[in-house]
Amino acid sequence: MRSRRRATVIACFLAPSLLIFIVYRILPLVWNVVLSFEYWSPLHPATWAGLDNYQEMLQDDDVFWLALWNTLIFLGSQPVAIALALGIALLVNSDLKGASVYRTIVFLSYPLMTVAVAIIWHWMYNERGGLINYALRQLGIIHQPIAFLDSFAWALPSIIIANTWQVLGFFMIVLLSGLQNIPPHLYEAARVDGAPAWARFFRITLPMLRPSVFLCLVIGMLNSFSAFDLIYVMTNGGPGHATELLITYIYKQGFVSTRFDYAAALTVAQFAILLLLTWIAHRAVGGNAGAIE
Amino acid sequence: MRKLWWRHAALIVISIIMLAPFYWLLKTAITSENIYEYPPHLLPVRPQLFNFVDVWYLIPFPRYLFNSIVVSLIAVAGNLVLNAMAGFALTLPFVGRRSVIVLLLSCTLIPFQATIIPAYLITAHLGLLDSYLGLALPLLSTIVCIFIFKASFDAVPRSLIDAARIDGLGEMRILLRVMLPLSTPAIATNIVLSFIWSWNNFLWPLIITRSQDMQTLPLGLARFLSYMEDTTGALYAFVVMVLAPGLLVFLMAQSAFMRGLTTGATKG
Amino acid sequence: MKRRTFLAGTAATALTTPAIAQTSKKLTFLSWNIVDQADLFKTWFAEFGKLHPGVEIEWLDKKGPDLPPFYQTQLAAGTPPDVVDLQGGIGVEYAAQGALLDLTPYLAKQPDVKARFNADYLGNWVWEGKNWLVPFYVAKSLLFYNKSLFKKAGIEAPATSFDELLTQAEKIGAGGGDQTGFLTLNFDWLYWALFRMNDVELLTPDLKQPAFDTPKMIETIERLAKGTAGTAINKISWTGRWVEPLGAFASGQVGMLNAHSSAYFFLKGQGAWINPDTLGVAELPGNWSVPTLHGYGISKGTKDPDLAWAFVEFCTAKKQAQEMADNRRILTGYTEVDDTLMDRIKGQEPLAYAVLKTQLEHTDKLCGNWPLPSDSRVKDAFYPELQNALLGRKDAKTAMKEASRKVARELRRA
Repeated sequence: MRSRRRATVIACFLAPSLLIFIVYRILPLVWNVVLSFEYWSPLHPATWAGLDNYQEMLQDDDVFWLALWNTLIFLGSQPVAIALALGIALLVNSDLKGASVYRTIVFLSYPLMTVAVAIIWHWMYNERGGLINYALRQLGIIHQPIAFLDSFAWALPSIIIANTWQVLGFFMIVLLSGLQNIPPHLYEAARVDGAPAWARFFRITLPMLRPSVFLCLVIGMLNSFSAFDLIYVMTNGGPGHATELLITYIYKQGFVSTRFDYAAALTVAQFAILLLLTWIAHRAVGGNAGAIE
Repeated sequence: MRKLWWRHAALIVISIIMLAPFYWLLKTAITSENIYEYPPHLLPVRPQLFNFVDVWYLIPFPRYLFNSIVVSLIAVAGNLVLNAMAGFALTLPFVGRRSVIVLLLSCTLIPFQATIIPAYLITAHLGLLDSYLGLALPLLSTIVCIFIFKASFDAVPRSLIDAARIDGLGEMRILLRVMLPLSTPAIATNIVLSFIWSWNNFLWPLIITRSQDMQTLPLGLARFLSYMEDTTGALYAFVVMVLAPGLLVFLMAQSAFMRGLTTGATKG
Repeated sequence: MKRRTFLAGTAATALTTPAIAQTSKKLTFLSWNIVDQADLFKTWFAEFGKLHPGVEIEWLDKKGPDLPPFYQTQLAAGTPPDVVDLQGGIGVEYAAQGALLDLTPYLAKQPDVKARFNADYLGNWVWEGKNWLVPFYVAKSLLFYNKSLFKKAGIEAPATSFDELLTQAEKIGAGGGDQTGFLTLNFDWLYWALFRMNDVELLTPDLKQPAFDTPKMIETIERLAKGTAGTAINKISWTGRWVEPLGAFASGQVGMLNAHSSAYFFLKGQGAWINPDTLGVAELPGNWSVPTLHGYGISKGTKDPDLAWAFVEFCTAKKQAQEMADNRRILTGYTEVDDTLMDRIKGQEPLAYAVLKTQLEHTDKLCGNWPLPSDSRVKDAFYPELQNALLGRKDAKTAMKEASRKVARELRRA
């Protein structure tokens, strides 16, 4: 009796959230899966396409592979950002005077609207009015201004830097909390054993931080697969497809080229890749992705 | 002592790098020079607020601000109620709990850009196009925030909950009287994150609003760009005006927010 | 299966949703990034309401990149805006998608309306022999040149051949400093005149096959690439979007700029040096130019096609077109209106007059405006390869072979 009542309560508690996710996430995913096996655009009745869309994607579309590659590079930048954030977290994780001020400063860029972040950085990189070109020229590092966002070599790294600037603070906070949860007696014991600082870091800090690092990795991964606003405003995938990520390519195929069916196949592929990566990350931290669950 | 000095130096350098874009934004916003002049001035030349006045006249700023606030408030309220309930439910043992968690986590893997058309059709079906509720609906509950609540609730001592049960408190009361009062950081995190996400949302309002009266601030940004392109300081003044409210909310709630984020992130 | 019933159901309810069903008739007009004319539009809507009592105009405006997602979702929901302002090739694409109403019968019924427009501009939106849009405002590319830099380099008059164009660009580029000779916009097909003047064709006349992989094309690319590697051609030509190239020319360090007439007002705002003595305008060699046009179309899904047409007819009428032309200093494709505007500004604004004059001449030499149902896909298949070759990242032959394969694939698919 009691347990049944509790089951009802649980169901009622979960229902509203689940409903929203089913309606705005799961249903659209199903829609995309179905669509990926069809030919369809608004006004054109759907016809069966079998694996045509997937075949085109895998065999015939080098932009897909380029976008995937760029996405992976973007993803690869996340551990770097996490390492940087860890460095900062270690610096502010103490009774250092003003630590909270530093923390706030580093975190300040996270709550910003991404569209606005894109506008700010677009301006920072500007050849004439931008701070970066000016600073580099003043310091004598370069002699001619670089059109960072128009350059095949620089565009993607430039966007990655803007992105890192925005998420760094978030990573830092997550890692900081991980650091604060490490019991101090572990360090004392190690100190008594005469372990040097680097050994303490690798034997205690890093292993104990595993859940926080995992969380950062997952968030960094999601972020790499959904960094749409930044690119939409800063480069729109250009020059060429140098900054095309899967997510921008999906959007373009759907709304610019009116190929919603093909975009659906790309969406399903991206979803599968994300699932796979999550599973790998899950295994890599020892089978129990306990950080979230 | 020397070590401490070194730390401060490193952190000051980092702070300067992190703050530089803010400074450059502000400098450009209050400047009256030709912003494309080279070399740019490090300090604003003849600082003035004219750009802000420009923005005020080109965009119905108060209206957009009001809309953004209403939508964000709905989203924040929804997130608090729904996430707390869902997060609490997930701390209780029940059949299928694991599948629910997996389902929720996989939901985070679906990018919004790929859901626009079905999401639009569903919202149209509900008759919520061009309405505040329609704007807020997809953001009414967020997965990360559910898990932040769950982690916070998990950290509440078992004995306290058991005692409450023995006292005959129902689940709803346990949530309201025991769990939530002990979870202020999680609440703060929920407020800030759901506020930020709703405040910053761009593509969804673009699609589902029609009338001028329903536009939110990020759309104002697009509207502004169509007036001026990015050729004057006015754009940057507008960016400042759009960012300020979000930053203000964050600064006010920051200490609780950071605590909430940290307990949510790693406990449990 | 499920989705289809779901879509149909949604469309059906969408029609009965209170927000859409109004007691008075509502006509929705979606425009493309023209909020600066809000005051003018409001007077038009009021006047139109007087002519058609009980009709209310709902006006929506979206920025170029934001318009397609908005329009497509409206289509999917079965509630497209009745009248829509579309730019360039997207009109034909939407027509091919089945989104637009064929305007040919209306134009046939009202020859006076058809006679308003410059036939070349109107002809831009003919696909499969039918008219899909009528001109709203028009522009095409032309050559702006910096007279001071010309003088410095000892050049008397703008080039009349591709060879001469490159030689002049080299001369100016050799002037030292940040100076470069030539700059072009590259979005849509705006640069295509450079190839057209070399007799390169993108596609076969039936638009079914690529036709550009020829020795002449390779040679043209190689010469342009050589200029780009040096100082003759500014690199932003192949990478920049709108603000960057125009900003570069406005800085006074670039000899020539290939851009459409709307660029003039931007340049004037940016470059303090610009006046009739320093800025020259001309046609590109061979008088070739690429149009960027805005046109009114009617969505096939409109509930009242005749009323929508009445609105289009009203907006393109002499009075309204004239107001638009005068307000924005822009040409409307309405021949008589444009002539009036030209007379009006002839004495007062000599430079604007010179710029706009190019837009009314040689409208038979438009290029880069193929009526392609898959225009954006072809563009996306072609341009990155061309860009690679022009920037020296790939040799022209390999790039064009690749491009030809990709373009053929897109054409086949459509």
